[in-house]
Amino acid sequence: MPPRPPVVAESIEDRVFAALSSPVRREVLRLLRDGGPQPVRQLADQFAMARPSFSEHLRVLREAGLVSERKEGRQRLYRLEPVPLADVQEWLTPYERFWRERMAALGDVLDRMEDA
Amino acid sequence: MSQDLTTIEVDQFYPHPPSKVWRALTEPELIAQWLMPGDFRLEIGHRYTMRSRPVAATGFSGLVEAEVLAFEPEKLLRLAWRDAGEGNTADWTLTWTLHPEGHGTRLILLHEGFDPDDPLQRQAHTIMNGGWRTGVPKALAAVLATW
Repeated sequence: MPPRPPVVAESIEDRVFAALSSPVRREVLRLLRDGGPQPVRQLADQFAMARPSFSEHLRVLREAGLVSERKEGRQRLYRLEPVPLADVQEWLTPYERFWRERMAALGDVLDRMEDA
Repeated sequence: MSQDLTTIEVDQFYPHPPSKVWRALTEPELIAQWLMPGDFRLEIGHRYTMRSRPVAATGFSGLVEAEVLAFEPEKLLRLAWRDAGEGNTADWTLTWTLHPEGHGTRLILLHEGFDPDDPLQRQAHTIMNGGWRTGVPKALAAVLATW
């Protein structure tokens, strides 16, 4: 695979895609989706990396609008922001439609086949 | 939403036994009837090429370099799909799993490996968000139909 030019985050959309290009950040989003809002410490404990590196990942997610942070007492609580993700889902829509059509066609083939 | 933000999962129930669904997934002349023609062989490491309709909105060229990665008869078939089109870096894994359900089969497809950092795929997204959605081709088709 040829090396890619660095992604220059211009629009919010570019930022969302750049944010999603890291498996670590996708995993953070998954944790927030499945476990609801949670403190930074709880998220960081899931990853074997230095805290500053993890904070950097959170910053990228915040700037893309994918997560938001609020202070609660002495904790910083993170939550998932669903709107940009809905946009990302739309990015996959043509593929999903492709497969739904193919699987419907597969059903027609099965209906025509002799029972072996 | 599927388990990963870059994964598609589609499933469908067929009122046919898994053995029959398996044949439709692995016999070339049957595959050609619902997916695309290609020289498929049920053999790990077998590579073949398939040609299908391009998916314009995504930059998918329609030419696929495929490889059989794993299989378990009547249960699982895993394939690598690489887009052979120029400048397209798509490198996907397709996993078909067959689950007996009543008198039929539930077939699940997991399509993994979408790369949010792929310029083509991001461009496709931009185009779609720019209003080039299904509504446009549909409206166009409606206009053409009246000619």
